[in-house]
Amino acid sequence: MSTQQNAASVAMPTTMRSARGLAHRGIRNIRRLPSAFFPAMAMPVFTMIAFAGTFAAITRLPGFPTDRSVNWFMPLGICFGAAFSGIGLGFSTIRDIETRFYDRLLMSPAPRRSLIIGPLLTAWVRVAILCAFVIPMGMLLGVRFTSGLLGLLTLVVAAIGVSTISLGWGLGLAYRFRDMRGAAVMQLTMFVVLYLSTAQMPLPLMSGWLHDVARINPATNILRLARQGLVRPDSPDYMSWSNTWGGLLAIAGMATLTLVFARRGLDKLDR
Amino acid sequence: MTVATSDVVIETTARSRQLSIRQTIAMAKRSTVELARQPALIAPSMFFPIFFAVLSASSFSKTTAIPGFPKVESFMQFTLASTIVQGVLFGSVTGAAALATDIENGFFDRLLLAPTTRTGILLGRLAGSALFGLFQSAFFLAVLVPFDAPITAGIPGALVMVLSGGIVSLAIGAIMSSVAIRTGSAEAVQGAFPLLFVLLFFSSAFFPRETMSGAYKRIADINPISYLVEGLRALVLEGLTFSAVVRALLVPTVICLAAILFALKELNRKLAAL
Repeated sequence: MSTQQNAASVAMPTTMRSARGLAHRGIRNIRRLPSAFFPAMAMPVFTMIAFAGTFAAITRLPGFPTDRSVNWFMPLGICFGAAFSGIGLGFSTIRDIETRFYDRLLMSPAPRRSLIIGPLLTAWVRVAILCAFVIPMGMLLGVRFTSGLLGLLTLVVAAIGVSTISLGWGLGLAYRFRDMRGAAVMQLTMFVVLYLSTAQMPLPLMSGWLHDVARINPATNILRLARQGLVRPDSPDYMSWSNTWGGLLAIAGMATLTLVFARRGLDKLDR
Repeated sequence: MTVATSDVVIETTARSRQLSIRQTIAMAKRSTVELARQPALIAPSMFFPIFFAVLSASSFSKTTAIPGFPKVESFMQFTLASTIVQGVLFGSVTGAAALATDIENGFFDRLLLAPTTRTGILLGRLAGSALFGLFQSAFFLAVLVPFDAPITAGIPGALVMVLSGGIVSLAIGAIMSSVAIRTGSAEAVQGAFPLLFVLLFFSSAFFPRETMSGAYKRIADINPISYLVEGLRALVLEGLTFSAVVRALLVPTVICLAAILFALKELNRKLAAL
């Protein structure tokens, strides 16, 4: 290693170096423990195929924003997969706490921030793998982006956002429960939040209590962001700034809340 | 002398049969009490199907106007049958996972060391699952029927649905018990569950076959779950017809008999290996 490289290495903030080390560990675990990552890959594929097939007829409803059911359900599948990518790291953290590996991390001089940023980087890598696998598969099944690369970009941004939110939530619960009881709460809450939105139907076609809940659920904005490049150009949900900012705001707000929740949990664990 | 000997043999056989039945009942009681004592284990199988039924009723309320959709009073009425099957699928896995836990923690071996009936170990566990399935089906009907989901076949239809739920639970419990006996791992039983879920999704459980097309419709056409759910649904939508009762009871009974035979074969294989 040259002197210049050494200097650069020293200059690199300690937080990022530790976080990168933890992220590498998380990524290596994908290969070493594929069974832990498998649900996050299988879930979106299953959701996309099963929902698009079962509920194909809903596209015949007047006012439905696309004529391809797979266009409607692929973003939902990806958001589910992204949520499970984040939650999966919550499971890994519980395992580390139970096996006392986390005690060693807490005893090390690694900045506390890195214990959250490291898994966050892993979650983003997992989402990248997920998108690289699910989107081409969706296209083989008939998915068409109606607004080109911009639609792909908004879908990936939404997926990264969901994984950030779920990671914060997963870590926060892992630090508080410290055993596998937390796993059920993580899954259940993410599942319920995503389902109580426009997961299955667009807002104008819903009725009753779910319409009212979905209207105020931030997950609705995130799904709108994810789907805007996949709906018909004449649909009010088509790519526009007004369909984008709500999703970005929801991601920023929820991610901040859950990451703060995680940080406070870590502080409690540390004490 | 010969008559006296045969009398003794008959009496011994009858006594041993009575003992086997008593032991099987004791095992069934144990598995039922075990489930009742762990509400955290059974709560998801009670909560999730109702959650999905309520969610779907609100999400898909307008889809009942789609051409090909059967005549219904509400989407909730349509989804009543699938809620029972879905809940029973969730619930019956719990019993099989408990059997695998018995194997993992050595209780199964202790039962084998005791002078108990071998088949009773399995049948007792399955009877517990079936009872839970009956309870779940009755619970789902009691909770959902008041929400605009009347059963056209009336109380006899509801009873057939509850009975069918019990048989489905027995069938799925037997299939999952085979996995439990073969692997001896509760994790493997839980891991095999998604396969059942896939089977349920690739059927007409959540949407009518008449609205499906292509490969998906072909899979739903050959999936036995479609016929089971449609039998139950016919009781809800059409009334107490012979065809509906046969589909609601015959399909799960055939699956159940095959599954129990297979599970007993797995048990005998395990016993022979000991």
